Amino acid sequence: MANQNGETSLSVLTSGWIKQNPTFVQVLGLCPVLAVSTNAENALGMGLATLGVLAISNLFISFVRNIIPNEIRIPVYISIIAAFVTMVNLLMHGYTYNLWVSLGIYIPLIVVNCIPLGRAEVFASKHGPWKSFLDGLGMGIGFLGAIMLLGITRELFDAGTIFGYRIWPSAYNVFVVALPPGAFLVIGLYMGLFRYIGKMRSQKKVEGDESK
Amino acid sequence: MANHVKIALILTVVMVVIGVILAGVYLMTYTPIAKADLNAKFKAIKFVLTDQTTGQLLVNQDQIPETMAELNAKIWKSNSSGVLYSNTKLPGYVLSPAYIFKGKNGSNIYILTGYGIGFGGRVVTVASFIQQKNGGFLESAIDVIDYSTETPGLGAKINDPDVRSRFFDIPNSGLKDGVKVNKDADIFPLPSNYESEIPTYKKEGIVVTSDVMTGATITPRAVANTLNAMYEFLEREVK
Repeated sequence: MANQNGETSLSVLTSGWIKQNPTFVQVLGLCPVLAVSTNAENALGMGLATLGVLAISNLFISFVRNIIPNEIRIPVYISIIAAFVTMVNLLMHGYTYNLWVSLGIYIPLIVVNCIPLGRAEVFASKHGPWKSFLDGLGMGIGFLGAIMLLGITRELFDAGTIFGYRIWPSAYNVFVVALPPGAFLVIGLYMGLFRYIGKMRSQKKVEGDESK
Repeated sequence: MANHVKIALILTVVMVVIGVILAGVYLMTYTPIAKADLNAKFKAIKFVLTDQTTGQLLVNQDQIPETMAELNAKIWKSNSSGVLYSNTKLPGYVLSPAYIFKGKNGSNIYILTGYGIGFGGRVVTVASFIQQKNGGFLESAIDVIDYSTETPGLGAKINDPDVRSRFFDIPNSGLKDGVKVNKDADIFPLPSNYESEIPTYKKEGIVVTSDVMTGATITPRAVANTLNAMYEFLEREVK
């Protein structure tokens, strides 16, 4: 059911996938995206960890939004996000040791990623728990998709593999994509692609409106 | 004033609730984390006690520790400070405890854990040193068990098999000269025949990593410093 702004549960869930993608459209939290997306496995681990933190922290922030005074909302939001990141870090250390070691410092750094705090401030502090949860989930899926896209592309061009499975011989490797300049190059190309898709969509919409 | 008190109270309640939840998760994950860390250590010890060329164990199977008690029985040196040896100039550190195993051929095999400083912090390495008949040592194999502060995809590649293997089988002459990565030994760019020269480089303590780990010299340097500290410790304690 839509609210006054025309937001349905489905539109809240899906807006982060492409239209408001946190990485390619909102350009938020690029540091871990660029650093961790060197291969598909790391990207999947980081994406899932961020997705979990986003969805659950949005839900809890929405629950407490009416009892937290405006002056202290940011420290409270950060504390809630930090608590969930610590939980994810502990769980990964205990149950997915190898992934925890390879993701390293970037798991604790989810606390200072702009996306969870941004969604808390922009969405969860103004909406009910259900929609806030969906927003976190949707943005998390968008982030996961974006970092996976980068991880797969970079691993493919750097090592000729995807999730360790060989796609083409190592002789065709373009090593620069594994390095920081390569990360900027790949993300720049994807941003251009997303912008182009957005432009095409709005053009089609305008043409559709005019033909009516 | 009342508003300030209210804000302080709300913040306190929020922090207490968060603290209680985190304490619960910490307690819940305490055993799995301890188990995961211990498994990583057992795995590393077994790995460095394996001949990397033949895949055979350097010790009898019953020597491989599977419980904490069995591992404790192999302690050679330990102290309460947690650090057995440090060389702050490198910097490289040897952690307590150090273990000793008897090889199949009767030689002493020392298993040391140590760390050097990588890009983001400690890079912890477990290494095995086989005592030779002439009194020297052969660094047989390493396993990097904690590189969680290194950059994923760059420094965090340190424990990839093709990178790790470059630190295997460093003879006493190489250890004596000091282990260093090829960039620090001014062998960069690498000559075209470098692959066939790797064993020769090792005799001089030079470990080639720049071909398998481009863009990250600090992390392999941390491992090299750790091995140097370990060798200094063995020289001091064994001879």
